[in-house]
Amino acid sequence: MKLFSKSFLLVMAMLLIGEASIRIFWSRNMSGRFEYGYNLTSGFEEEKDGTVNLVRAGGRRFHPQSFKMPKPEGVFRVFVIGDSVPRGPSRKEAYAHQLEKILKQKGIRAEVLNLAVPGYGARRSQIVLKQALRYQPDLIIKHINCSNEYEDEREYRRAQDFQSWHPKNWLMKSVLLARLYEAQTEKIFWQLLPAKVRLQTGVQDADAEIAASQNDEKIKQWRDFVTAKTLEDARFIREAGVSGIFISQARSRNMAGGGYDLDDQGLDALQESLARKGMQTLSIKELFAQETDFKKHFADSSHLHPSGHQKIAEALADKVNALIIRNAARTPVQPVR
Amino acid sequence: MAYWLLPHRTRIFLLILASYVFYGIWDPRFPALLLVPTIVDFFGANAIDGRKMASWKMILSSALPLLWLVICAGTGLSQIPSGELIAASLFVLLLTIVHSLLWLLQEEIRRKAFVVFSIATNLTILGFFKYFNFFADSTKSLLTNMGFHAGWVLPHIILPVGISFYTFQTLAYVIDVYRRQQKACIDLPTYALYLSFFPQILAGPIGRAPQLMPQWQEQKIFSPVYLHDGARLILIGLFKKIFVADSCALLANACFDAKEPLGVAWSVVGALAFTFQIYGDFSGYTDMARGSAKLFGIDLMINFRFPYRAKTPAEFWRRWHISLSSWFRDYLYIPLGGNRLSQNRMFLNLMITMLLAGLWHGAGNMFIVWGAYYGLLLILFRSIPALKNLGKKGWLSILVTFVLTIFGWAIFRSPDAHGLMQWAAGFLKISSELPWLGPALWLVIHVVPLGLLQYLTRKKEDESELTHLAWPVRGVVYLLIFLLTVSTSAQDQEFIYFQF
Repeated sequence: MKLFSKSFLLVMAMLLIGEASIRIFWSRNMSGRFEYGYNLTSGFEEEKDGTVNLVRAGGRRFHPQSFKMPKPEGVFRVFVIGDSVPRGPSRKEAYAHQLEKILKQKGIRAEVLNLAVPGYGARRSQIVLKQALRYQPDLIIKHINCSNEYEDEREYRRAQDFQSWHPKNWLMKSVLLARLYEAQTEKIFWQLLPAKVRLQTGVQDADAEIAASQNDEKIKQWRDFVTAKTLEDARFIREAGVSGIFISQARSRNMAGGGYDLDDQGLDALQESLARKGMQTLSIKELFAQETDFKKHFADSSHLHPSGHQKIAEALADKVNALIIRNAARTPVQPVR
Repeated sequence: MAYWLLPHRTRIFLLILASYVFYGIWDPRFPALLLVPTIVDFFGANAIDGRKMASWKMILSSALPLLWLVICAGTGLSQIPSGELIAASLFVLLLTIVHSLLWLLQEEIRRKAFVVFSIATNLTILGFFKYFNFFADSTKSLLTNMGFHAGWVLPHIILPVGISFYTFQTLAYVIDVYRRQQKACIDLPTYALYLSFFPQILAGPIGRAPQLMPQWQEQKIFSPVYLHDGARLILIGLFKKIFVADSCALLANACFDAKEPLGVAWSVVGALAFTFQIYGDFSGYTDMARGSAKLFGIDLMINFRFPYRAKTPAEFWRRWHISLSSWFRDYLYIPLGGNRLSQNRMFLNLMITMLLAGLWHGAGNMFIVWGAYYGLLLILFRSIPALKNLGKKGWLSILVTFVLTIFGWAIFRSPDAHGLMQWAAGFLKISSELPWLGPALWLVIHVVPLGLLQYLTRKKEDESELTHLAWPVRGVVYLLIFLLTVSTSAQDQEFIYFQF
């Protein structure tokens, strides 16, 4: 009897043929499940006719949207980048879409795409920014927050870990097996099982996240990191010759004597530095503090109801309009109808 | 590869070393505990066989647990409380004294005395480590309920993994030697390997000396069959564990760990999911254990034979965890009188056997209830004519037995009586807030491939036997099993039977 049986050799041959076929005939980029968002192209699906579909990024999803490359003549393209706050309760209720509506009402052929992904912190948002800058934006709206750095770090470690040649990763080095795993996870695991069932083992991680978010030293590290990354973002935007608006997130919190106030988490302090880099800014704290009953716009401490998104969209529309007029004055041929 | 290149004797030592290291990974002190039944039963069985070993051999051997604990303490492998060192020292003294005294007795009395000593030692160790907390807590609760103040603080006893399995394996050996069905092993390393062999130490199958001992003594030459069979069994075991059991566990856990009844659909889906989880988990482990052993040329016994195709509860137990059920049959039920005495006595024997089988699984009330449930089913199926004849009714009998089995697993899985009542209360709640259709489909997706695999092997004694298929078909089956296993996204779950 031979060392390898015929059936074993058949399995190996079929696996090799499958692997070769998938590499040759389906060479489209991986959707990023194993890069955990640390892949420049994950979530951006480019078709041959120039359509770019926004799909998935590292297991998380963009709102499904698409746009054309190259950018159609006369279109003012805006990308909104950030986390679950700008992502909104739905694509249509988020301020990106509401801004598009307002601009269109003003007669501007605007195309505002929501590139926000829940849980994305400074590190991964920057990756989305880098890719977005490749698609001819006229304006980048970057929503900055510092509450996602734990997840960003954890996913970064996972991505790094997955790149290693530890035996546990060997099978997933095969594109065939990795695709199969991804397909199973996306089409069966996520589709069929409710979140409560899927996340049974996530409790420990949630506990660790809460513990980290109560550690003052850790919070300071995260703020410093967000500051550094945000200034880098501003540099990238300026170097690409694109306009930028940075929205600093604020959290509503209960006050000791009753009532609420807004905490800018130290992010408003960035405004001056960003302005020096030619960026415009919008402070959520300043915007909502004008209202006595601002709490009605907040769904929780950070996330906003559609009315809150509407308010941001209106504030942004004024800035965008001014920006377009200013740009048009500089260069007469501008995408303003 | 190293194993097959070594001389026969060295192979034994290599496997002992591997097995003790493997067992010690769980807790560095466990190997010392494993040495105790090894030494007690090696010398005890020889004494039963009328063979008196040299005293120095026994003293040196019985000092091994102490030596290992001292090494652990000295090298910092583990912190050893002084009580454990004293117990290990007393073991040397006690064993020497008991042997010296028992050897003074007449042959027949001596044989009995040695077997009683062995059984008592093993059951004391098992009882202490596995049941002390349970009985002490139960006693404390009982006294408190009766109005007494039981304010003592109980020590927390760690349950050594696999203790139920190797204790039963060594008991079977000693009893077989006593019954003169098995010659005592005269080689301590061979006996140490019989008890510690790493593929089976954690969760069986519970081996029998007549089947295993000759295999250790035989000088085997490598054959590719070992590799092929071993790889096949490991692959099928992984498929059962990862694809079937871990996937079903998500649903079973969601159902049985819920804070409130989830509804009728979830009660059904959860119980079904656990039914396949426990089967995939345990039979998958067994296949992997058999496959790993086969790589060394060793055949472990078949532990599962299509249990969910059983037509009666009695048949279920002839197909489920065969090494345990046959152990209880051979060493408890038959010695109690089996079905040779009156009907009432047989019923009592059945109930005692099943209660102890339930208790074997763990120190918990629900395991006892589960055992009693099966005791009751076995009695009912033997006493009610309609149920007696059910076994002849093909699919209907399989269906009835399967439903009864599912209910049994619901008892087994429920954390306590309240949990079981909550699961049962789910049947009274029509709607469910937690969606169930998707999970039901998930269950079907993860159970149907197992059913198809079992359809292919339905005519074989071994449910993991595929060699009768044409090699291209076998190749395709292996490929599909491999792909399904690799693509599973359910989280890892520990083997259920490790806790027993």
